[in-house]
Amino acid sequence: MPTEVILPKVDMDMATGRISRWLVADGDTVAKGAPLFEIETDKAAMEVDAPADGTLRRVKTDADADIPVGQAVGWIYGDGEAVPDAGSAGAGSDEAPQAEAVEPAHPAKAEASPDAAAPSGRLAPAAEERPQKALNGAVGHGVRATPLARRLAREAGLDLAALTGSGPKGRIQREDVEAAATAKGAGAALTQSADRQPVPPASKARASLMPAEPAAPAPDAGPLHAVWMREGTGVPVVLLHGFGAELGSWRPLLAEIPEGVPVLGVDLPGHGGSVDVAAAGFADLVAAVEASLTALGVTSAHLVAHSLGGAVAAAVAAGTAIETRSLLLIASAGLGPDVHAGFIKGFAAATEEAPIRAWMGELVFDPRVLSDAFVRSVTRSRADGRLAAAQSRLAERLFVGGAQSFSVRGELAGLGCPVKLIVGEADRIIASRHAFGLAPHVALHLFAATGHMPQLERRLEVGRLLRELLR
Amino acid sequence: MSSTAAETIAPLSGDNRPFAFRQFSPETLKTALRQMYLIRRFEEGAEESYMRGLIHGTMHLSIGQEASAVGSCLALSDTDQITSTHRGHGHCIAKGAEVGRMFAEFFGKETGYCRGRGGSMHIADVTKGNLGANGIVGGGLPIAVGAALSMKMQKRKDVVVCFFGDGANNEGAFHESLNMAAIWKLPVIFVCENNKYGMSVSTERSTAVANIAERAVAYAMPGVTVDGNSISAVAEAVHVATKRARAGEGPSLVECKTYRHRGHSKSDRNRYRTKEEIAEWVAKDPIGRFETELKDYGILDEAGIAAIRDSVETEIANGIEFAKASPMPDPSEATRYVYSD
Amino acid sequence: MSEAKTAGRELSYAQAIQEAIAIAMERDERVFLMGEDVGVYGGAFQVTGDLVHRFGDDRIIDTPIAELGGAGVAVGAALTGMRPIYEFQFSDFATLAMEQIVNQAAKLRFMLGGAVSVPLVMRFPAGSGTGAAAQHSQSLEAWLGHVPGLKVLQPATPYDAKGMLLAAIEDPDPVMIYEHKILYKMKGEVPEGHYTVPIGKALVRREGPDATVVASSIMVHKALDAAEKLAEEGIDLEVVDLRSVRPMDRETIIRSVMKTGRLVCVYEGVKTLGVGAEISAMVAESEAFDYLDAPILRLGGAEAPIPYNPELEKAVVPQVPDIIAAVRQLVRKER
Repeated sequence: MPTEVILPKVDMDMATGRISRWLVADGDTVAKGAPLFEIETDKAAMEVDAPADGTLRRVKTDADADIPVGQAVGWIYGDGEAVPDAGSAGAGSDEAPQAEAVEPAHPAKAEASPDAAAPSGRLAPAAEERPQKALNGAVGHGVRATPLARRLAREAGLDLAALTGSGPKGRIQREDVEAAATAKGAGAALTQSADRQPVPPASKARASLMPAEPAAPAPDAGPLHAVWMREGTGVPVVLLHGFGAELGSWRPLLAEIPEGVPVLGVDLPGHGGSVDVAAAGFADLVAAVEASLTALGVTSAHLVAHSLGGAVAAAVAAGTAIETRSLLLIASAGLGPDVHAGFIKGFAAATEEAPIRAWMGELVFDPRVLSDAFVRSVTRSRADGRLAAAQSRLAERLFVGGAQSFSVRGELAGLGCPVKLIVGEADRIIASRHAFGLAPHVALHLFAATGHMPQLERRLEVGRLLRELLR
Repeated sequence: MSSTAAETIAPLSGDNRPFAFRQFSPETLKTALRQMYLIRRFEEGAEESYMRGLIHGTMHLSIGQEASAVGSCLALSDTDQITSTHRGHGHCIAKGAEVGRMFAEFFGKETGYCRGRGGSMHIADVTKGNLGANGIVGGGLPIAVGAALSMKMQKRKDVVVCFFGDGANNEGAFHESLNMAAIWKLPVIFVCENNKYGMSVSTERSTAVANIAERAVAYAMPGVTVDGNSISAVAEAVHVATKRARAGEGPSLVECKTYRHRGHSKSDRNRYRTKEEIAEWVAKDPIGRFETELKDYGILDEAGIAAIRDSVETEIANGIEFAKASPMPDPSEATRYVYSD
Repeated sequence: MSEAKTAGRELSYAQAIQEAIAIAMERDERVFLMGEDVGVYGGAFQVTGDLVHRFGDDRIIDTPIAELGGAGVAVGAALTGMRPIYEFQFSDFATLAMEQIVNQAAKLRFMLGGAVSVPLVMRFPAGSGTGAAAQHSQSLEAWLGHVPGLKVLQPATPYDAKGMLLAAIEDPDPVMIYEHKILYKMKGEVPEGHYTVPIGKALVRREGPDATVVASSIMVHKALDAAEKLAEEGIDLEVVDLRSVRPMDRETIIRSVMKTGRLVCVYEGVKTLGVGAEISAMVAESEAFDYLDAPILRLGGAEAPIPYNPELEKAVVPQVPDIIAAVRQLVRKER
C-alpha cells in the first residue's frame, strides 16, 4: 500500500495550511527523510520530510488553497507498487480509508473560538433579561436613584423622575419611594394592570419604564379595592392586611415572594381604597373578600394575612368560594378573647403624626424598625379623617370593650391545607398566648423579641416560611 | 565518562558482559526491549495523530531517549515512586502505564489517565507510582524530595526516582531540592536526562560545568555521568544509587547523556542543531544498540525481535482504536476535580 | 460551631494555633510541621514554641532557608500519604514558593483527573503594624484567593485560629491560612480539646440594620470598634467576619446586604483588585443588587508598599476612623 503524504499540523493553533513549494516533482523518486515540500503558515515556512522511500504522486489541489490539517496531499509508492497516472492520483485517497474515518479530536471551531472552548451553561453569564437593563434609560434621563429605590418604584408603578431624592446629590432612596407610594394612595400608586395574562419579560421591563398613570380599579372587580401588586402565572398569593392598615403595607414583603408568582393585595372594608365600603360585622368582611376574589377570577389562592386579615383569611379558607392552597397567618386575630383595646380605639381615631407615631410604636418590639418616612406616610393617608371615621365605626362592631367579637379557632381545626401561624412573643396588640392550643396540624412559628409586625420585624424569616408554602 | 565517588559493580569473574546482562534475566531484558519499542511507537503514533489534527496543544517527544527511561525504571516496583517531566511519555510507559489510556488522554478523552484534563504534559498512572509529568521545568524536583521524606517518615523501603532535564539543573529548585535531600539523607535518585539542549540553548551555553553530575559534589552526594543511550549503563548507575537509597544512605545524582531526535516540541523549527549532529545521534540510537547486544549475547534472534515488534504494533493500533472510540468529557464537568468531592 | 461552649479559658491567637497543631499531631501520626526556625527557636513568632521537644525534630522539621524547595517538599509529602503543615516565616516569602503553590499544589488533583489529592496546610504570618516594612508586612491573600484548587482562610480570633487550622489539617485539599501578626498576642476564649470551624463560612459578629461591613482578619476588630462608636450616633452596623476568602460565603454576605441595603468592605490588602473587589462584584451581580440603597464602598490598603515609619504605616491601611467616616458617608442623608 502506498504511503500517504498529509499536510501535517506543525503549529499549536494551526487548522489549515498551504503548500508554498514542492521540492520534489510529481513522479520523481524520494528518499525517506528528504525534504518534500514547504508549508507556509502565518508564522513561518517549514519543510516537511518524505515519510517513506518511493515514487511521489501528488494530489491535485488548487493553487494557493488552504488545506485542512491531515488531508492527503500526495502518495508515495514503494517498490513493486503500481504508480497510477498523474491525472488519477486523487484516487489514492480512496485507498486510505483511515484518513476519513477518523473524526477530529476537537472540532475546528473549538480551537478557533474561545467561547466554544468554554464549558457551556455553568460558566456562562445568565442570559436572562434583567429589568435593571431597561432602567438604564432612566439614568439617561438624569434620575439618580439606588437600585433598591428603583426596584420599589418599579413594583409600585412610580415614575422616578417625578420623585425628589433625599440622599446625597438628590439620590432617590428607599424612604423617598415609600413616602411617595403611600402619599399617592395605594390604589393610585400600584398601577400594574389588573389583567392577569402572563406577560413576557421584555414587555414587563418596558412596562416598568412607562410613566405611572393612576389606574382605577377594574370596574367589575367586586366590592373591594384590590390591586395586582405583581403579575405572574400560576396560583396567586392573596394578601389581607390588618386593622388600620392597607394593602400598600405589604410592599416590603413583596421582595420575599418569588418572581413570577402573581400577588393580589386587597383593601378590607373601611381601609385603604375600600374606605367607603361599610361592614356591619365580621361576616361582612369575609363575604366582601370572597366576592372580590371571585369577581377577579381568583378561584384558588395562597392566603397570606395579618391580624384582623388573618381571621378573615381563616374564614375564607374554611368556606367554599376559594380553594385555599395554603394559609400563612401573621399575628392573627380570632384566636383568643381579648385585644389591646387602647390601641384599637386610639389608632382608629388618630389623624395626627404624634399620636400615630405613639400608637405605631405599640405595634413593634423595637420602634427603630419604623422609619420616619413610614410614619409620615401613614399620617398623610389618615390626615383627612375619612379612614379614622370608617375604622372607628368598624372597631365598634368588631372589638367591643376590648374583646374580639369573632373566633376562627374552629375554622382552623377543620382546614385541610398547610397552615402556618407566625407570632411575635412580644406582641402587645394580640397576646401570643392566643396561638397555643390550636389543632396540631397548624404550624406555630414563635419569634422572640418580636412584636405584632413580624412581616416587618422579621421579614427574611417570614419570607422564608412563606416560600415554603409556595413550593 | 566521569564517575565521582560512585560504587561500581564488579563483574563476576569470567563474565565480561555488560551489567544489565549479568544482573537481569533474559525475560526482563526482553521486556525492557519491548518497553523501548512501545515508547518509540507510542510517540510516533502520537506524532502522526498530532499531524492529522487529532491531538490538541503540543507535545514533547523523547524519541532517542528510551534507554534512560527504561533503564532507570528497570529495578523499580510499583510502590517506588517517580516524578517526571514535560518529556515524560517514556517514563510513564517504563513505570507501567497502558498505551491505550495514554492515547485516550492525548485525544482528550474521559478514559485517559487524567480524564482529558491533563494531556501530554501531565500524564501519569498514579497507581503505578508515577506522581506525574510536569509542565514546569524543575517542578518535580522538590516534590520528589517530599515523596522521599514521606517514604522515610512512613519507614517504607521504597525510593523515589526524580527525572529532570539538563534545563532544570539551572533552576533554583534543583539546588534547594538536592541540598534538602542530602541533609536529610532521603531515598531519592536524581536522574538528569541531559539531551544537550534546554529548548534551543545548549548546555555549553547554559551550564558552567561540563557534566551536570559534577554538581553532586556541592551536595556531598555521589554523582555519575553515564552514556544515556546504553540501557545497561543507565541501569547500572541507577541500581547503585537505588541500593544506597534503600539502605538509608541518601540521595545520588545520575546524569544520562542522550539526545532527542525530534525538536523540543511540535512547534520547534530546529534552527539550533545541524542535520549532521542529528544524524550522528540517530546512528547511536539506543534501541538498535540494545537489539545488537541482545543478539550478541544470545538472548534474542531476528525472529524474536520481529515478534516483539509485531506485538507492539498490535498494542499501539489497539490503543489508538480504544482512544478514538472513547467518549469525550462532558463540558458541564469542566470544573470537576478542582477540589475533593 | 457555637462559641458559647467555651469554658472561659483564654489563650492567645498564637497559643491557639500551637494547641491545634499539637492536637492534630497527637490524633494523627501523618501530621507533621516543617518550616524555617520552627524547631528549638520556636518559630519566628513563637507559634511552634516547644513543640519540637514534645514531638521530636523528625515531626517538627527545621528546613533550610529554601521556600520553593520547602513548599515543594510539603506538596510531595502530601501527595504520598502525609499531612504536612508548612509554616512560612513571613507570608511575603510565599512569593518565592509561588511555583509550587500555584502550579503544583493547586492543580495536581485537577491535572491528574482526580487521581490524587493534596492534603496540605500552609500558614502565612501576614499583615502590617510591626514596623517590618515593605517586604515583611504584606497581605497577599488575594493572590492565592485567585487560584482554583486552593482554599484560603483568614481567622480573626483565637477561637477561629484553632478551629480553622484543625479543619484545614483534616481537609483533603490544600488550605492556605493567613494569620495576622498583630493578632498573635490577642487573647480570647478557646475551648480545650478538638473542635473545627467550617471552611467557607462567614460569621455575623454583630447584628444591625443600618449597614453591612464585611471585614477580614484584623479588620474585623477595627470594624467592631467602629460599630461601637457609630452606635453612639444611632448608626447600628452589622459586622460580617469574612473568615474565608476562597470559598467565599456568598449566602451570608448577600443575606446581610439584603437586610441592610448598604455595604462596606474592609480589608488590609491593597484595595485595587483585592478581596473587597470580589465581594463588591459578587453583591452587585446578586439578587442583593435590588436591595442596595447606596453605592458599595471598599476600604483597603493604599497604592503603596507598607512604609517603615509608624505613622506612615498606619496611614496606608484602613483604621477605625476611616471605617467610621465611610459608614457615615454611606448612611448620610441630605435633609
